[in-house]
Amino acid sequence: MLSDDLACFAEAVVTGQPPSLLIDTEYSNYGVTVAVEVYRNNYRGNLHDALAGAYPVIAQLVGGDFFRLLTRTYIGQHPSKSGNLHHYGAEMADFLAAFEPAQGLAYLPDVARLEWACHLAYFAEDAEVMTLSDLAQIPAERYGDLILKFHPSCHVLYSDHPVGSIWQAHQRGADSDFQIDSGASCALVSRVEDEVRVNALLPVQAAWFAAMREGVTLGEATETTIARHPDFDLQSMLLNLFDNHSMVDFNLKGML
Amino acid sequence: MNQPATLPCTASIGLRAPHYREVLQSLPELDWLEVHSENFFGGGAPLRTLLRVREQYSVSLHGVGMGLASKKPLDQAHLSALQRLCDKVEPAAVSEHLCWNAAGGGVINDLLPFPYTHEALNHVTRRVEQVQEKLGRQLLVENLSSYLSFSHSEMSEGEFLAELSRRTSCGILFDVENLYVNARNLGVDAEDFIRAMPRDAVKEYHLAGFSERDGCLVDTHDHAVHPAVWKLYEFAVSQIGPRPTLIEWDSDIPALSVLLNEAEKAQRCMELCHA
Repeated sequence: MLSDDLACFAEAVVTGQPPSLLIDTEYSNYGVTVAVEVYRNNYRGNLHDALAGAYPVIAQLVGGDFFRLLTRTYIGQHPSKSGNLHHYGAEMADFLAAFEPAQGLAYLPDVARLEWACHLAYFAEDAEVMTLSDLAQIPAERYGDLILKFHPSCHVLYSDHPVGSIWQAHQRGADSDFQIDSGASCALVSRVEDEVRVNALLPVQAAWFAAMREGVTLGEATETTIARHPDFDLQSMLLNLFDNHSMVDFNLKGML
Repeated sequence: MNQPATLPCTASIGLRAPHYREVLQSLPELDWLEVHSENFFGGGAPLRTLLRVREQYSVSLHGVGMGLASKKPLDQAHLSALQRLCDKVEPAAVSEHLCWNAAGGGVINDLLPFPYTHEALNHVTRRVEQVQEKLGRQLLVENLSSYLSFSHSEMSEGEFLAELSRRTSCGILFDVENLYVNARNLGVDAEDFIRAMPRDAVKEYHLAGFSERDGCLVDTHDHAVHPAVWKLYEFAVSQIGPRPTLIEWDSDIPALSVLLNEAEKAQRCMELCHA
């Protein structure tokens, strides 16, 4: 059966064990173990390259040798699930949190979370961006009923570490100035003119965003946020989201 | 009726990221370009680049991830992403490989051979039909480079492809370097393979370089086309006729001018060797 042949071949590629008797063992200039090794190298090399493409900052932070150890272990624990290699690597943050040799680098998982958000933002579908004039169609007294829809590239992250500054410092041409122990931070990932951006958010802005992303109204989210943080500035938050092309559409509660 | 492949019958190059900017600025004299489909799934910068390329050239979408021979059901999300890309780009050709990539719970992101049995032929026939139906386009299916073979194959890869094309009206993307690799690795008779090709079904040629590991030729696309592969290409053109021909280079990618020279060589070869 074809399914048995493929399963057996896959097992040999993934584990390096000799394949079934149904595969020829001798070729013109080599034996089957060489063939399996070539496939096994391709398999691991392609996945390694995919991880290196998605996690360039992690690779810089830990260095080439450590990164190879890390990807080799990751590949052993996380088989690919998609024919599209750009989907590979989604579990890196959780993997790093449990990866014994990286326990001294507490910020690594959140840097990975941020890099994955950037990777998703890079490949996210296009969507028409909402502008201030779209909002002008709504009478001001109805603003409280707004439910916002965010761009597919838009992500917000919270971390106990300054992950946004770490990420910025490792971009090409950036000066590498950041304080690794400067404490908690929030980051807004967005895509403007096809370029992925990472901007710092205040914790209160991130809390408001989290509520909006749940689909509650602007009135409710703002009220809840102000109850805890009286200094929350809604206007500057909205301008920030407009600037970063983070919103695509809105509904009014009761008009869905 | 599926929309047939309509690539211009000239030589060209595979467009890869290191050359995006230069190609868009210098607009080399080519009629078409080929890209890997999966790199343009979604929107943003990759798609914008491809749409700018499309304003100047015909485009061929060459997929590496569909897994036509896998036993798992076709990945509908993958197929839909390809369909959306086709809608945006209006490609002159869409191609995939005669291989599998998924078994059990996982995917092996490579181009893997399988036994050429009647069971596999029925299976791949259904899947090529599904893909063509979804896209509304003729699919070109590429012969594979292989490092091993199955003792219970019931036909050759060439016979398999010819019958697949007869049943589904898919086109054949004939990779001459893959055939050369199989001739050297597995003892396939390359000239027999070419003589038996259904000429009208062949819609495109691929040429590339390989490397060697422990006696095994590996399809690495990291070298210029080998003289022996040029010779085989000449033979193919003399037997099958000229077809759109692509230079593939995917690793240790050289300057654009090196690729363009290779394409020019293929163009000359096509003109000289056509019987």
